Amino acid sequence: MSLLDEIEAAIPGLRRYAHALMRDRDAAEDLVQDCLERALARRHHWRGDGPVRAWMFRILLNLHRDGVRRSQGRHLVAVESLPAEPSGPARQEAHMDLREVQAAIARLPADQRRALLLVALEGMSLAEAAGILDIPEGTLVSRLGRARATLREMTGRAGPRPAKKEGTT
Amino acid sequence: MTGPEPIREEDLVAFHSGGLDDAARTALAARIAADPEAQAVLAEWDRQDAALAALYGPVAEEPLPEPLRARLAAAAETPTRRRPAFALAAALALLAIGAASGWFAARSTQPDAPAFSLADSALRAHVTYVAEIAHPVEVASDQAGHLVQWLSKRLGHPVKAPDFAAEGFRLMGGRLLPGDTSPAALFMYEDDTGRRLTLHVLPEGGAENSAFQFLSSGAAQGFYWHDAGLSYAVIGDIDRDRLRAIALAAYEQLI
Repeated sequence: MSLLDEIEAAIPGLRRYAHALMRDRDAAEDLVQDCLERALARRHHWRGDGPVRAWMFRILLNLHRDGVRRSQGRHLVAVESLPAEPSGPARQEAHMDLREVQAAIARLPADQRRALLLVALEGMSLAEAAGILDIPEGTLVSRLGRARATLREMTGRAGPRPAKKEGTT
Repeated sequence: MTGPEPIREEDLVAFHSGGLDDAARTALAARIAADPEAQAVLAEWDRQDAALAALYGPVAEEPLPEPLRARLAAAAETPTRRRPAFALAAALALLAIGAASGWFAARSTQPDAPAFSLADSALRAHVTYVAEIAHPVEVASDQAGHLVQWLSKRLGHPVKAPDFAAEGFRLMGGRLLPGDTSPAALFMYEDDTGRRLTLHVLPEGGAENSAFQFLSSGAAQGFYWHDAGLSYAVIGDIDRDRLRAIALAAYEQLI
């Protein structure tokens, strides 16, 4: 498989990830298009160390971080600072309300969202996701734990497990 | 304390993400089997994953949008042809490395003028400022955020200071430099032994992307390259392989 084939093969996953990462469909497509541009511009430098997919995800995430930084100041409320709003009493039905999940994902802090989607949506191993995010595996694990717990609260599904008690006996 | 110790969340995350070896997995599975709360958490996470797959899985099944297909098709038409800039860069690097007399020897290959202008001014700035004891930088690294913001504004292009901690160099700070058509940015780094290197960034409109090119003059040597409208040079008085690793790290981080 040529490098170009591998780049093409990575795109469906990148699109899926970008659409989950950004609520705006056009913004997601732009992100993937920019990522492809950058990968193609750099393919002559590709040194063949590591999978092409991971390389492209790193490019996409760098673009996303840069974009978030650039747009800072234009949004009045940082998504991170919004309080979680449980949407009712704890429920345990088999399926989740998809729109509710969509809204909750969008309100996760960006770091948690990036990490959670790599593992939960793209099915990456902890090692692969940690490599792409350039963070230690332990950091990734705690980030995933926080993301999952926040998601659970925001979809009103915080079940029987009590919140962690600290400093009590 | 009543009952067994609750299963740690980290362990559940690792379990759910397949991040445990067989032995640890088996051991944890036994504890989970006796822990309804942990089972509920894992089931909830399964539902989260299922919801994400239902929401976004179909995107990956769609045919590629036209702009992406067009871009790939255009790239496929020039599959292995190297850009002229790349071929030139390779020739230059070989020549310069082979020429004991320094990087000016490479002039005979008719290099593009802006690149050499960058290399030349970067070398001169390097030599001028690394020797400075009292004022090596205008803005020190304790104001790194301000430094990057300021330089980005003056260059009219977002720039950032890469992290070379893995290579043993820490950011000292930076300064603004005059350039031919626009100001240039200089970041200076230092290692534990006081050796310094500089990274130069210059907006160079229309410059093609290129591979690394090697330059040297006296004890100072470095690499420079163009990428996405910016020209970069990394210069230091350190050995070429180490410098090359640092230039690669800069290149990777500036993606």
